[in-house]
Amino acid sequence: MLKIWSMKKNEETAAKKKPKVSAAQIRLQKDLTELEEFKTMTTDFPDPADLLHFNLIITPDEGFYKGGKFLFSFNISTNYPHEPPKVKCMQKIYHPNVDTEGNVCLNILREDWKPVLNLNAILVGLQFLFLEPNAEDPLNKEAAEELRRDREAFAKNASLSMRGGTIRGQTYERVLATP
Amino acid sequence: MKVAVKQWHAVAYWKWDTGATTEQDANADEDAEDDVCGICRVSFEGCCPTCKMPGDDCPLIWGQCTHVFHMHCLLKWLNTASSKQQCPMDRRTWVTAERKVDR
Repeated sequence: MLKIWSMKKNEETAAKKKPKVSAAQIRLQKDLTELEEFKTMTTDFPDPADLLHFNLIITPDEGFYKGGKFLFSFNISTNYPHEPPKVKCMQKIYHPNVDTEGNVCLNILREDWKPVLNLNAILVGLQFLFLEPNAEDPLNKEAAEELRRDREAFAKNASLSMRGGTIRGQTYERVLATP
Repeated sequence: MKVAVKQWHAVAYWKWDTGATTEQDANADEDAEDDVCGICRVSFEGCCPTCKMPGDDCPLIWGQCTHVFHMHCLLKWLNTASSKQQCPMDRRTWVTAERKVDR
C-alpha cells in the first residue's frame, strides 16, 4: 500500500512536468479517430498541429445542392465538449438555414448541444441540412418562405445561386464542384 | 516432477460497478461505448481530463436515469448554463443517485 502512495506522488510530479495538452484536444483526437468516412465530406487541416481549427468540405450527391461544393470552418474552444464547435459557412450561399454571413442554424450547434455528441453528429447534421433544408427554422427567411411555398422555384433558385446568380438583389457565390 | 515455487507475483485489477452485467460483458468487445464516460470518452477506470490518477480521486457519478459519467465531467457540464441541469444522454433533469441504479 505504501508503495502505491509513493508511486502516486511520483506520478503527480511527473505529470506536472509534461507539456499541457488540453482536455479539448484529447477529446477532439478521439472524435477524429472515430470520424466516419463520408463519401460526400472531407476535412482539411490547414495547420496539422492545430486540431482546434479546421475546414470541412461538403459535396452533396443528391438533393437541391447536388453539384455544389460547400466550405465550412470549425473553431473549437478549449471548453469542448462542454461548448459546441463554432461552425461557419465560408461562402455566401442561398440556403434557408444559413444566413448571408455564414451563420448556420443547426439545433445541435446551438441549444441542443450536449457533451456526449461528437464531430460525427455535427457532420451528419450539416450534411442533412443540404439534403433536407428546414423551412421551419430559418436564418434566410426568404429562402425558407420560398421552400415552403414552391419547392420547384426554390430548387431553381438554389441551382441558380450555386452558379453565382443573383436572387432578389443578393448575389451568391459560385460554389460549383466542377470549374 | 517436483516444482518449488520460488517467487510469485499477485496481479489484481479493479473496475467500477457501472451496471454492466455479466451477459453484457459477453459482448462488451463489440460495444466498448458502455465502458467510457460519454463526456470525455475516456474509460471509466481511467480518469477525467483534469485528473492525474484514476480511482477514488476521480470517482464516477450515477444518475437516477441510470447514466454514468466521471463525476468531474458531469459537474462541469451541470455548471454550464446550457446544460439546463439535464443529463447529457437523455436530457432528463439530472438527479444524482446514491449508487448504481439497476436497469
